[in-house]
Amino acid sequence: MSYAYLFKYIIIGDTGVGKSCLLLQFTDKRFQPVHDLTIGVEFGARMITIDGKQIKLQIWDTAGQEAFRSITRSYYRGAAGALLVYDITRRETFNHLTTWLEDARQHSNSNMVIMLIGNKSDLESRREVKKEEGEAFAREHGLVFMETSAKTAANVEEAFINTAREIYEKIQEGVFDINNEANGIKIGPQHSPTNPSLPGTGGQGGSQGGGCC
Amino acid sequence: METSDSECFESADEEIYTEKENKKSKKVASSPPPKDDLSKEVEDITNLKITESNDEQPVDLNNEPHEPAKATKIKPSKIGVKTNKSDNRTNSHSTMIDNKHIDTINVTENLEDHKDTPNEEVNMWDEDEDWEPIETKPEPPPPVSTNKSWGWDLSAVINAATVGVTTVTSHVSQGLSTVLETGIGAPDPAELARQHTQETETHNADDDSTQSTTNLFGFGNLVSGVTQITKLVETTGNKVILGGLDTLESIGKKTMQVLQEGDPGFKKKRALLNIEGEKPVLSQILREAKEKAEFENRLLEEQHFARKANYESLFDDHQGLMHLEALEMLSRQCSIKLERLTESRFGSELVELQETMNQIVELCELIEDEDELEDTSEIKEKLDSAVSEMVINISYDKLLTTRKEAEHWLDNINLQICSELELHEQAIDTLAQLTALAVERYHKIGELLLIKEHRSTADEADSLVQLTMILITLTGNMATKFSNKLSEKLSSSAHKDHINTLITNVYFESANSSSYLKNAFQLLIPVLQVGAI
Repeated sequence: MSYAYLFKYIIIGDTGVGKSCLLLQFTDKRFQPVHDLTIGVEFGARMITIDGKQIKLQIWDTAGQEAFRSITRSYYRGAAGALLVYDITRRETFNHLTTWLEDARQHSNSNMVIMLIGNKSDLESRREVKKEEGEAFAREHGLVFMETSAKTAANVEEAFINTAREIYEKIQEGVFDINNEANGIKIGPQHSPTNPSLPGTGGQGGSQGGGCC
Repeated sequence: METSDSECFESADEEIYTEKENKKSKKVASSPPPKDDLSKEVEDITNLKITESNDEQPVDLNNEPHEPAKATKIKPSKIGVKTNKSDNRTNSHSTMIDNKHIDTINVTENLEDHKDTPNEEVNMWDEDEDWEPIETKPEPPPPVSTNKSWGWDLSAVINAATVGVTTVTSHVSQGLSTVLETGIGAPDPAELARQHTQETETHNADDDSTQSTTNLFGFGNLVSGVTQITKLVETTGNKVILGGLDTLESIGKKTMQVLQEGDPGFKKKRALLNIEGEKPVLSQILREAKEKAEFENRLLEEQHFARKANYESLFDDHQGLMHLEALEMLSRQCSIKLERLTESRFGSELVELQETMNQIVELCELIEDEDELEDTSEIKEKLDSAVSEMVINISYDKLLTTRKEAEHWLDNINLQICSELELHEQAIDTLAQLTALAVERYHKIGELLLIKEHRSTADEADSLVQLTMILITLTGNMATKFSNKLSEKLSSSAHKDHINTLITNVYFESANSSSYLKNAFQLLIPVLQVGAI
């Protein structure tokens, strides 16, 4: 698939806040209530369209466990966007945000767009962190804020796409140097790559056979 | 250019000029000018730049002892002066026309230099024969105000000047054409010159548009003088133009002649300039367009299949690239750690550290092993035993499933229906997927080793060596199986070359796979090293 840009995202936050579920909802549009613990980093990718341009989001879903902290730090580098996730039903995940933010700021480029996400908004009855608190934290640290539900898919698309839009705007403003891949942005291939080691396949028997499985 | 310059000056005089011409034409006749000269000549003709040459006075005009009757008694130098009365228009015209030759340029420049200084001219008129108009740097006062009581004299002078100018003009024209002709070897310049003279003389100043400045004169004779000046200017202009046009015409003719010399119909030159081939032939254009369209279609079709069977993009589709990138980052992080460690150690400690690190690299050397891995359960067993030494929770089930599926697909295909392209596509996809999964496993192993509590580097290295060799064999076997299927199609297919190309490509990508695997393994070495320290 050809694309105009490729943005690298990282998803960070405490274990169990629903990072992998958010990714699965975004890429596969499904919810998996029981999820294996993420080892190191897992990946997801999806194509979106902004301003008529095809943009490939390459999402690095990091492990939230403390044990992987030092490993996941090495993956921050070269991310254009970050989703910093906490669980609105667990206050401690909100309390750890500062540490995560420091980590992210320290190990990634300064222009990285960070989106603060209060996940599990479907569990209103168990809410421990008010929406206003999340908004205030985001305002204080210059983040974009959104409450989502990976289960109901509420705001999931928006969270990923708004982040991409913000990165895209930064590119338009010239804040991001798109030629520097350390910024987490790659320019897409102009055309589909051709296989140089496979010459002269055209014309002959290309359209015969209606499938062989 | 320079030689012709001097010739031109001399040739202003008809007689001298004729001599020159004879000389020149003789020269030309005896030995035709070399090509360089010809081109130079043409260049001269077309060169429209006026070189400022104030130093070169029209002094040569003084050397007119055999001036014909029409030239009257006015000294050529004075004529030069009188012509200065001509307005800008004359100048510009003459400049335009005369650009082609320095000779005329000199005259023109004299005109330009002195057009604004009639006063000085008149004053000097009777006194100084050696007067050189160009040398005088004139302040530009209007001619009227400074013209004292010289009116009567003026008109006389003007009459004479008119004739003089005519002469000069004709001479100039003659000179021009003659120089051209002599240079190029043209016939009968004298007659041409005579023609010019006649033509220019028949042209009288019939434009009586007087300038407003005449109103300022207090004296009638002065007025008439000025009117005459105006007329003179007009006439001179006309003459210069006409003479110049004729000259231009002959220049053009001459140019064509020179160009055609030894090249009738400009065949060579046209070929040189690529004019010949530009003639459009409709049928040819259509044929070319059709060929182009066919080529593009074929290219598109090829690209379609090429993309479907492109190893790198398929490897990326199966997330192989992302894991490889992550593995590289992990590896780099470990390398940085090791570097810091090395920098902090000195002496025997440093030597010890480096020895340990080198030992690990040695432990990771791959032994080429051509084991046949046929049975899935056998492979699983080998993989499990290899992994077990690392004491991490990792399984190769997904990779084994993919391999099994591919085998199943191969066992069940109907070669009558399945095209070689589809077979090839499936082969590449399977190789890319197996490799991507293997790379993902390397990446996971790296992460898990890094969070492991108790490291046993030697075991880890041994385990990884075994693992890598199994994986390389596994992908190689897969490639062989697909190639065999493709070979089966060889006997029944008309496109043997094509199938052979596809088989080669499968082996090529199989080699590509094993280099990806080896590379991934190499990236794990710093991870092992970090564990040993």
